[in-house]
Amino acid sequence: MSSQAATLTIDHHHDPSTSTGIPNKKLLMWAFLASDCMFFGALISTHLVYRLHPPAGGLDPKQIFSPELTSFSTFILLMSSLMMALAVTAIQKGNVKSCRWSLLTTIFFGMIFLGCQVFEFTEFVEVKHMTISNSLLGTTFFTLTGTHGCHVAIGVLWLSLMYVRSFKPAAGNPWQKSWLSHQLLHAGTLIVALLATLKVVLSLVFALRDAATFAAGFGHFIASDFLFIVIALLAYGGLVWFARPRGAVQFDEMNAIDVESMGLYWHFVDIVWIVIFTAVYLLEYI
Amino acid sequence: MSDAPTTGMSAYDSHGHEVSKFQIYVQIAMLLAVITGIEIVCVYLPFARSLLFSALVFFSAVKFLFVIFFFMHLRWDKPFCTILFFIGLTLAGGTMWALLTLFSATASRPLTM
Repeated sequence: MSSQAATLTIDHHHDPSTSTGIPNKKLLMWAFLASDCMFFGALISTHLVYRLHPPAGGLDPKQIFSPELTSFSTFILLMSSLMMALAVTAIQKGNVKSCRWSLLTTIFFGMIFLGCQVFEFTEFVEVKHMTISNSLLGTTFFTLTGTHGCHVAIGVLWLSLMYVRSFKPAAGNPWQKSWLSHQLLHAGTLIVALLATLKVVLSLVFALRDAATFAAGFGHFIASDFLFIVIALLAYGGLVWFARPRGAVQFDEMNAIDVESMGLYWHFVDIVWIVIFTAVYLLEYI
Repeated sequence: MSDAPTTGMSAYDSHGHEVSKFQIYVQIAMLLAVITGIEIVCVYLPFARSLLFSALVFFSAVKFLFVIFFFMHLRWDKPFCTILFFIGLTLAGGTMWALLTLFSATASRPLTM
């Protein structure tokens, strides 16, 4: 069978080679997500149990939470789910370029969500004086949302590695000889770019928040974070260099199941946040 | 091989017209964003707590189901994936219900002092 004919017969929802008819990677991911449901179920229950029986003189969540920021985070995570779904559709059609752009956008939205969470946690600790150990609300809240944040961070790392994987040279490509070192450098550059950007953006936000005027805050930001700005710019330059056309790649619709499995994980992170947003944040306001 | 609506990169509407997944996904994402906006407005409305609570749970469930059935492809996948995931979901929901019920009993209230 020619490769073109093989491509035409790919059924992304059915694998005749397995006894269940479901690709093994997908089945594994669904089983994992089912178990992760129970994990988050226990954490959400713990938070709700203590919120239903708050200690006397405890912190008031309405004075601490910021519904505007949380709503923005929720919107961002929903949009990241859209981009993830589009990435899966793109690779199922064999459109590698579109898949890469969708993956990068998903990573971008994921980093915005993480940035919002870092900002929120910093506000809670430094301004609202709620820490993980000084109140029951803080303990259950930080444990639950922090665990979710760890899931998002793992998802961003996985997305980044999949993006880099999409550049793996095909057989016969002269770049294949050094593909591993090249891929590792590419992944390292992407992670440095993401972390440096997170640091720079958060520093800018905090500098502008704490300064009396915009000029003073911006000046302080440039002075204190110049090194990170340079690192971020260099890393972005490196990413552009790594993404240049380098011949045929070993990444096509045959890899759709890998992207789809990762997409399932990412969407799961989104649905957990849908529940957390209602159970932890919105219910406090009614 | 499965039939066309479940295998290709497109779905079919009630009139048999091909609808691209791109359009479906964008429409669902917009719907989810609108529902999120409604949820936020809801909490500031002067209605009974029970009504608002029911509305929020309903909206949350709708968003949850849209994501798992469309974005996570359960609508197009084999039913076994749905069954597997709902086993975990049912166990998680049962655990939550049991914990909330147990700790609502007077004799079992958690020590919060």
